[in-house]
Amino acid sequence: MTTGRGVATAGRLPVRLGSIRTRLTLLYSILLFGLAAAMVGGLYLSLSRALSDEPMSRDARYGVLAGQEAMPSSGSPPPHALASFEGEVNRRALDQLRTYSFFALAALLVGSLGVGWYVAGLVLRPIGRISSVAREISATDLSQRIDLGGPSDELRDLADTFDDMLARLDGAFENQRRFVQEASHELRNPLAVIRTNLEVVMADPDANPGDFRAAGEVAGRATARMSALVDDLLLYAHHQRSDVRREKVDVAGIVGETVDEFGAAAAAVNVSLESEAAPSLAVLGDAAALRRALANLLSNAVRVSNPGGSVRVSAGHDAEMVWVSVVDDGPGLGVEDQARVFDRFWRGDRASAREAGRSGLGLAIVRRIAEGHGGRATVRSTVGVGSTFTIWLPRLVAV
Amino acid sequence: MRILVVDDEPDLVEALARGLRREGYAVDTALDGDEALAKASWTPYDLVCLDITMPGVDGLEVCRALRTNPAEGVVPRVLMLTARDTLEDRVQGLDVGADDYLVKPFAFDELAARVRSLLRRDGGRSGSVLVVGSLVLDTARHEARRGDRLVDLTAKEFALLRYFMSRPGEVISQEELLDHVWDEHADPFTNTVRVTVGTLRRKLSTDDEPGLVETVVGRGYRLLEEVPGL
Repeated sequence: MTTGRGVATAGRLPVRLGSIRTRLTLLYSILLFGLAAAMVGGLYLSLSRALSDEPMSRDARYGVLAGQEAMPSSGSPPPHALASFEGEVNRRALDQLRTYSFFALAALLVGSLGVGWYVAGLVLRPIGRISSVAREISATDLSQRIDLGGPSDELRDLADTFDDMLARLDGAFENQRRFVQEASHELRNPLAVIRTNLEVVMADPDANPGDFRAAGEVAGRATARMSALVDDLLLYAHHQRSDVRREKVDVAGIVGETVDEFGAAAAAVNVSLESEAAPSLAVLGDAAALRRALANLLSNAVRVSNPGGSVRVSAGHDAEMVWVSVVDDGPGLGVEDQARVFDRFWRGDRASAREAGRSGLGLAIVRRIAEGHGGRATVRSTVGVGSTFTIWLPRLVAV
Repeated sequence: MRILVVDDEPDLVEALARGLRREGYAVDTALDGDEALAKASWTPYDLVCLDITMPGVDGLEVCRALRTNPAEGVVPRVLMLTARDTLEDRVQGLDVGADDYLVKPFAFDELAARVRSLLRRDGGRSGSVLVVGSLVLDTARHEARRGDRLVDLTAKEFALLRYFMSRPGEVISQEELLDHVWDEHADPFTNTVRVTVGTLRRKLSTDDEPGLVETVVGRGYRLLEEVPGL
């Protein structure tokens, strides 16, 4: 019956019954009302029992028998009348107590519903703030933050965690947006070459077969450039994933294979290729990705080396990391370039990069693979002496 | 009208130059910012088509330098050609003084239309059709008419007539014609200007029509404003 009344009271309020606020309010009221009702009921029962067990009229009769034997009994009422009078008084008192108790309990119920509603609202207010911010956030605009002030309690902790997650998402989305933008810029240049060449030669009524052939050759070159770029874009995007295969990989083996693979290419441009690797360089990772990273470094080194120069690959480890270094004796990089050499679409020499069909993603892929393995890629360079590119990977220590 | 095309893609520069020459412009090319500034320092270009992302001196710097230090006091119109199309990129390009902005890859016809529009602003004339007396030149359709008669002109003659028609009645020197109608490949000691003016003059006037291009001895040439009906 109590529950029925509680629901009825809450149901009149313009709030959904399913909300936590309503449920907290009801729970609070029911518990408080139940406790109060039990207490009042207990008091009432024990009082009514005490009153009916020892009526005072009996004491009065004992007193007459014990102390006032000689007294004439004509003045005092008869004992049975006294007892019924006393019973009537007790009954009325109990009636009154019951009435007051009912009123008090009803007032308590109404009061507890109000207080419960208010307190629940106070406690839950930050949650409303969190959900309203979450509602306003769309995938394109992650700049909103909850920024919940106040004491550092559980809800503040929740809001701060939420804000941290938003900041990370915002950063990731921003990075992704910039990448797509840069990639489309890079694709637009060869597209412009193709489109302009075709349109100009098609619109020329005097164009001879030689002109068409020339335009076709230009379009072919630009298309090859775009294919190389798209391949590298896919590779770059692929290594963005963190779910790369993890297996025990011997870095010394990868160094040997990759150096063998580049032997012919290096010999063709008269660059000598040397390698030395310490034994048992185990890391946990994706062998294909690591081979790709080292191949990118090697092709870079062979390209920048002067004819007659040399490229040295070495691998070793310290206490925690395994490292692979590629040393060239090319022109080297200035300090400013060293900071940007691993950036996407950075090219030391745009014109020659274009001719060679290089995308400007090679070293960015290297960095991404190294970081995907929990390591990093670094460069040390002196202008006029050469550069040293190094991949650092966490060492797998035998258990 | 003389145009400088600047981009670090040789294949693009060559195609643009070829297309714009067919439109009747004198076109020079440059493959980087330094070359562009050098050429612009000795030739008063009417328009520069400028790529923004170039190694070394980039398009924005070139544009700024063209504004502050123009050859012979003539600031060329600047049409930015670029792969970057964000709002900031556009604002930045227009802020350094570009007159227009075209995002790659563009349709060549659009480029040609914008070039026409930018060069028209110089002459203070609106529309792609120039009219002087009975002469009508449709720069978009590449047609020249005298009265009802269609005049068949080569690209160079067309360009020469357009330059005359942009400044009717003024005496224009041979050097100025060489600067604005011929490109960097023209030999300054050649008589090509005299020869082309001669053929243009012959094509514009049949036997019974009065001549329109007058030679001012020692100073240059002048396009006469013929009153229709006389």
